[in-house]
Amino acid sequence: MTASESAAVTQVYDVLIAAFPGRPTDQAVDNLQQEVLNQMNETDPRGVILDISEVTTLDSFFARVISETAGMVELMGGRAIVVGMRPSVAITAAELGFGLDSVDTARSTDHALLMLGVTVEDADDVAAESESEAATTHDDGDRSGSALSPGGGR
Amino acid sequence: MSEDGKTSDAVDAQVLRSGTIRVRSEDDILRARQEARAVAEEIGFSTTDVTRIVTGVSELARNMHLYAEDGIMTWREIEAGRDSGIELVFDDEGPGIDDIQGVLRAEHSTSGGMGRGIQGTKKLMDAFDLTSNAEDGTTITVRKWQ
Ligand SMILES: Nc1ncnc2c1ncn2[C@@H]1O[C@H](COP(=O)(O)OP(=O)(O)OP(=O)(O)O)[C@@H](O)[C@H]1O
Ligand SMILES: [Mg+2]
Repeated sequence: MTASESAAVTQVYDVLIAAFPGRPTDQAVDNLQQEVLNQMNETDPRGVILDISEVTTLDSFFARVISETAGMVELMGGRAIVVGMRPSVAITAAELGFGLDSVDTARSTDHALLMLGVTVEDADDVAAESESEAATTHDDGDRSGSALSPGGGR
Repeated sequence: MSEDGKTSDAVDAQVLRSGTIRVRSEDDILRARQEARAVAEEIGFSTTDVTRIVTGVSELARNMHLYAEDGIMTWREIEAGRDSGIELVFDDEGPGIDDIQGVLRAEHSTSGGMGRGIQGTKKLMDAFDLTSNAEDGTTITVRKWQ
């Protein structure tokens, strides 16, 4: 489990993407938060995308960790955007009263990258890449990272 | 809420099948969630209802582990007339909840949490019953009908 948790944080352009696992233990969620903050410190990205598209159960603990992580990223000078909340998760979270109110959200990773100020040209590349990369971005960050870096892979 | 431990749900339900999971670690919380998800999907609940049920299980199983250390979740597939549903019982012999009314109004937390787990779970379910005291610990029974 540890290997897959640490592989969940990848870099695309100068943005970190943290993919939260679908059915994690509390410990795994805590570990991912720690990993995001460590990489934040090492790579000083302009922003962090918190991808919760695999998350099928957003309970009070998980919602708190996501809000906290976003808050810490912002304290460290970056911007955090949550993407990919499933409709059923959004409905349940709203009913529970655990909205991610204070957290920026986006419909998709592309949209989040635009919000983070990745230029239109870059974003077009990202959009093109994401067709084929969407499924592999989580564990294949090096490849997509170099393809999207300025001058990289072209 | 009732004092005698019977469910507040007036409907008499027939039990089709049931199972138990002992919850005394974080892995057990995950297991309780997975089992509840599998049962709810088999019963035929919608994706949103499955999410509501599993989220409630996550809250109540975590509470058992956090506050009572050890407890048992029992799930039952139930039927009343043409309705099918799920009943989940979370039973522990921990210290009990001293301010039940405060907890139900989400005004009381002893863990620095949002104090919304129990009140929120009640909203997600069709029936909710809580019995708790220092001698016998806490028993929470919830039901969701399809
Ligand atoms: N099984 C239990 N045994 C003893 N006390 C409990 C139990 N479940 C809940 N409590 C008490 O009730 C309080 C409220 O629980 P609730 O789940 O609503 O919120 P919380 O756990 O404090 O925060 P969170 O929003 O993270 O769930 C807890 O702080 C705890 O004191
Ligand atoms: Mg709780």
